[in-house]
Amino acid sequence: MAFYKNNGDRVPDHILEMAGKARSGEMDRREFLALASVFGASVAMAYGLLGLPVPAKAQDTTPKPGGVLRVQMFVKAPKQPRLADWTEIANTMRQQLEALVYYTPEYTFEPFLLEGWEVNDNATEYIMKLRKNVTWTNGDPFVAEDLLYNLEAWCDATVEGNSMVARMGTLADKSTKKMREGGATKVDDHTVKVVLTEPDISFIPNLADYPALIVHKTFYENGADFVKTPIGTGPFELVSFDVGQRVVYKRRETGAWWGGDVMLDGVEFIDYGTDPNAAVSAFESGEVDANYETTPDYLQALDDLGLKKSEAVTSITIVARTNVNNKPYDDQKVRNALQLAVDNAVVLQLGQNGAGVPAENHHVAPIHPEYVELPKVERDVEKAKALLTEAGQLDFEHELISSDEDWHKNTGDAIAAQLRDAGIKVKRTVLPGSTFWNDWTKYPYSLTNWTMRPLGVQVLALAYRTGEAWNETGYSNPEFDKKLAEALSINDPEKRKVVMKDIEKILQDSGIIIQPFWRKVYNHHAEKVQGYFQHPMQQLNLGKVWISES
Amino acid sequence: MNLEQIGTLQIIVSSVGRFWPVWLAIAMVMGTSFLYRKKLGLYGQLYETNVGLLGLAICFFWLFTAVFSSVIAPYDPISQIAVMKDALPGSVVPEGSGGGVYLFGGDKLSRDVFSRMVYGSQIVLIIAPAATLFALMVGATLGLPAGYYGGKIDTLLSFLANMVLAFPVILLFYLLVTPGIMDTPVPYVMAGVFFLFPIIFFCALFYTRFKNRPDRLYLLLGLTILLGGWVYLGLVFNADPLGIVSIDPNQLNIFIAVVFASSPGVFRIVRGLVMDIKTRDYVAAAQTRGETPWYIMLWEVLPNARGPLIVDTCLRIGYTTILLGTLGYFGLGLAPESPDWGTAIKDASRLLRTTIHPALPPTIALMSFVLGLNLLADALREQSLKD
Amino acid sequence: MLQFILRRLGIMALTMLCLTVVVFFLISLEPNLKKLAISQTESRATQEQLESWLQRNGYRQNFFVRYGQWLGVVKKQPNIDASTGKAVSRFVFCDEPDVATYSGILQGDFGCSTKFRVPVAQKLLPALGATGILMFWVMVTMVPVALLIGILAGMREGSRTDRTLSAVSIMTTATPEYVSGVIFSVIFASWLGWLNGSAASATTQGVNFYNFTLPVMTMAVYGIGYIARMTRASMVEVMTQQYIRTARLKGLSFRSVVIKHALRNALIAPFTVIMLQFPWLLTGVVIVETMFRYQGFGYTLVEAASNNDIDLLLACSLVSVFVVLFTQLLSDIGYAYLNPRIRVQ
Repeated sequence: MAFYKNNGDRVPDHILEMAGKARSGEMDRREFLALASVFGASVAMAYGLLGLPVPAKAQDTTPKPGGVLRVQMFVKAPKQPRLADWTEIANTMRQQLEALVYYTPEYTFEPFLLEGWEVNDNATEYIMKLRKNVTWTNGDPFVAEDLLYNLEAWCDATVEGNSMVARMGTLADKSTKKMREGGATKVDDHTVKVVLTEPDISFIPNLADYPALIVHKTFYENGADFVKTPIGTGPFELVSFDVGQRVVYKRRETGAWWGGDVMLDGVEFIDYGTDPNAAVSAFESGEVDANYETTPDYLQALDDLGLKKSEAVTSITIVARTNVNNKPYDDQKVRNALQLAVDNAVVLQLGQNGAGVPAENHHVAPIHPEYVELPKVERDVEKAKALLTEAGQLDFEHELISSDEDWHKNTGDAIAAQLRDAGIKVKRTVLPGSTFWNDWTKYPYSLTNWTMRPLGVQVLALAYRTGEAWNETGYSNPEFDKKLAEALSINDPEKRKVVMKDIEKILQDSGIIIQPFWRKVYNHHAEKVQGYFQHPMQQLNLGKVWISES
Repeated sequence: MNLEQIGTLQIIVSSVGRFWPVWLAIAMVMGTSFLYRKKLGLYGQLYETNVGLLGLAICFFWLFTAVFSSVIAPYDPISQIAVMKDALPGSVVPEGSGGGVYLFGGDKLSRDVFSRMVYGSQIVLIIAPAATLFALMVGATLGLPAGYYGGKIDTLLSFLANMVLAFPVILLFYLLVTPGIMDTPVPYVMAGVFFLFPIIFFCALFYTRFKNRPDRLYLLLGLTILLGGWVYLGLVFNADPLGIVSIDPNQLNIFIAVVFASSPGVFRIVRGLVMDIKTRDYVAAAQTRGETPWYIMLWEVLPNARGPLIVDTCLRIGYTTILLGTLGYFGLGLAPESPDWGTAIKDASRLLRTTIHPALPPTIALMSFVLGLNLLADALREQSLKD
Repeated sequence: MLQFILRRLGIMALTMLCLTVVVFFLISLEPNLKKLAISQTESRATQEQLESWLQRNGYRQNFFVRYGQWLGVVKKQPNIDASTGKAVSRFVFCDEPDVATYSGILQGDFGCSTKFRVPVAQKLLPALGATGILMFWVMVTMVPVALLIGILAGMREGSRTDRTLSAVSIMTTATPEYVSGVIFSVIFASWLGWLNGSAASATTQGVNFYNFTLPVMTMAVYGIGYIARMTRASMVEVMTQQYIRTARLKGLSFRSVVIKHALRNALIAPFTVIMLQFPWLLTGVVIVETMFRYQGFGYTLVEAASNNDIDLLLACSLVSVFVVLFTQLLSDIGYAYLNPRIRVQ
């Protein structure tokens, strides 16, 4: 069986085939880059296959050491990385704890703590090679046992809220709630082999997700508290952690960082709360040099302060989903009517200030490699009304529930206004974020946000398959499940697209979600900060950032 | 998209014009009251002073605004016209979207700020006075015996009242107005207790007065219990057999919390007044006549405490308005998209550094209404002192 | 006098006990416990997982047992590790011991903040300090201004000064913090750009004129009106007293009559009012600190309440009840001290 190394010069034939298509414009380039890198091509090779030069990183001046970077970001309570439910939580730890794989802003996958990986033809066997020059801040070398320790912890379903279990696919054994016996084995000190029982092309992309940070093999025994025992492999060392206030890092002092010289003396994350006015004031008075995210309402205000803007197209989204186990949403006509009554572009305008791309109610984004464009469905109020009349639900009052987070609430209000405009009765209910998630999969009609995942099949597998823990729509369609399983095993994107087209169509027709938009995310930084940018998954890796004092 | 604008003068003229039913109503009510002020007692005396006139005018303004909201407001408070997002004051709505003018501009969800301010008055003017009246009933029903009898009952009730007063209002609201609590029996039990007080109050009122005249007594008691019970069923159990009286669980919750927070204040005032008044001669006279304590409390003491109580009620409505705003500001309880002033202030204050105009109308509205009530209270106090 | 104070302190303790039971009951309601479990696990955790977390961390014990643990009359139990069967610390970040111990309020342990991940005392004390600074500046600006307005207005009742100043005081009492805060921010931060619209930096980098003026101003304004009106009323009353008339008739100048005779007596009432303002200020603190993101007591209280941080919330209610009752006591004692005609029974 042929294995394909990442970052190598050998890729499966189908990747080579794809390259031709990508060159001719038959296939999206971004899609090609992502897949080529999963199947082993280096960035240089992937771009080479396209006949393009590797995009130059702005590095016309040599980095200078010194300076502390102050970033405005929520400082939420630290958790075990596998329980992190906010990107910010992971970011506060990411300066010392690192991931195995990095999803680049160019939408490719790069090994990070791994030196590389090899994957077999049908994506059931992965050979993960560790970087050899990685040391922990307590002096230990980074070895295969560390990786096995983390894989085991990620597969542990007995830990309440361990979100990595779902990302481990068939490596996690559902019956024992632990890692499948023999699923991952040590080959040598720096090599681990993972065998899955079903093909899963999302295994490597999942390792780039924000909770997938690697911890030291004493982490859980020591109380699983990063602040108490901060041992990591990253470029910085934790100095202090005050929830709601600030996190302070200094440049790593014990052992060198595998990534080379660290320019910054330190990093600080400062919490300014939820009021965006405070962030503007903070920039204005020079209290911070960069921020984690700029809300679309404030782009202009921060631009006007002479700050540099960075943006990323993402597949971060929100869906107004119905739960088919509740009346009247068991009736497809009602669900379709709701979709037809809403103009996604208007919701994007009002809920997100236009910062994003309208979505098409099937939860596969144009930036996903397997995206197929379906014929556009226009807003059609008359048809919506006709459908509702047919279903006898014209007078039903819908209750649209959302959390109180700003863009969730605004999107919900905008959708509700569109529905009302179409003559459908809607009542809005907004719950505080802390209460909302209590019953989130059971609400009859509510809004749920989904973070960026690099492949289209990833969310579909989590949220719309029969019986999944996160299946909030109660949707169950054997045909959909079958096709999705098929898609998860097909490497060849052209073949996969055939299936994906059906999958998208089934999902869109089912009417279970109104998905108004895909977000664009922004952040700002001062002119002097170099190498700081908005990452599509909003991850902050600051090891290579530096400050040029003018 | 560039929107057409109208000038500042035109904005002022049009907004004043939109309030025409209010001006008309104020002119009629205040005009007639002014003419007959000599015969209208304390209320009439308010027309003698500038402060009283101003206070009355402001209060009437918001009262009639609440009454005529649907006539005054050109748009629906929650409907959105997408092109009007963050539109500046005086922006003209394009013909294709229905036409008209957003007098005070549009908010970030492209709703009309003017209409929202107008509709916001309804919420405030329903909840604040009603909650204050309930608090008055509760406070009076408990404060009368506490002040009159003194002793153990006073110690107990005062202890409870002080306990509630010692509690920071915000924390109280956080605990009582969270959405989760509606799944528990707590708000319904509290509602059940609080809404019982007005019924008890009126029953006691009629019973003590007419207990020797059964014909009147049974009629009044029956009416009270029937009407009270009907409203009680509707409000507490949401089980009005006629389906007329009902309240959103959200609003019930707010209502209860506000009543709970302000009753102890009323209790303290009533208790203090009673302790003062019970030493008067006419109370002693009634006691020697052999009147029952409750008769004395309700028919001798209470009417003589009315002056300070009216003043206090005025101030308290203002304070309740502020409390409601606080609830809105903390995003507690009130329905989303609700145009109430507190929520509007909260929403707009997040965007202060970019758009200012949606923040000002609700702040000024709230301020002026409370100001009106304070002026009214001030004038009432001066007038009742003269008596 | 001593007996009086002791009795009051006894009532205070009783009030605290009753209130904490009530608060404990409310935050132990099912939806609130779920809220806590969600914030401590993962927001998309399943119901079974939440239940198991609550079970494991002792939140399913009897209500009175848990209240007793908090008080310190029942032993706090450590967690049992399901796989090894060994006792482990419940909240490692607070250094909770892995053996059963009495450790509650009576032992001086305020518990563990699940939101801030530190022992409650470690969070609450700096927060109280921060609020103390805010209160200090509010008092320093509010009290003199209010007294001055009140005295000037009450000196000559009905004069033009009186009317203007009274109107101003009524205006300020009609302007709650969240209204004046918005208006001041618009004027001083958005339009003029003189002041910082947030006090976030005051917490970390210290208080300065630029970041602290708006919160202080916002809080002070609401209180000014009330105190000024009390002072005015008291002043008006004093000015009509016999001894003032006598002093005037003696030929003393108006100025010296006011300063030497009227002031001392006129200030007794405002003193109690200022003391009784504390509960009111407490609410103001919560609004202003939330609005300007100043991490004092009010901010902590809101965070504790919205995350259902049980121990922190209980400690916050204890503190606020203590502040309210203690200032009441002080006001009573002070009143008696300032006014010898009144004797405390």
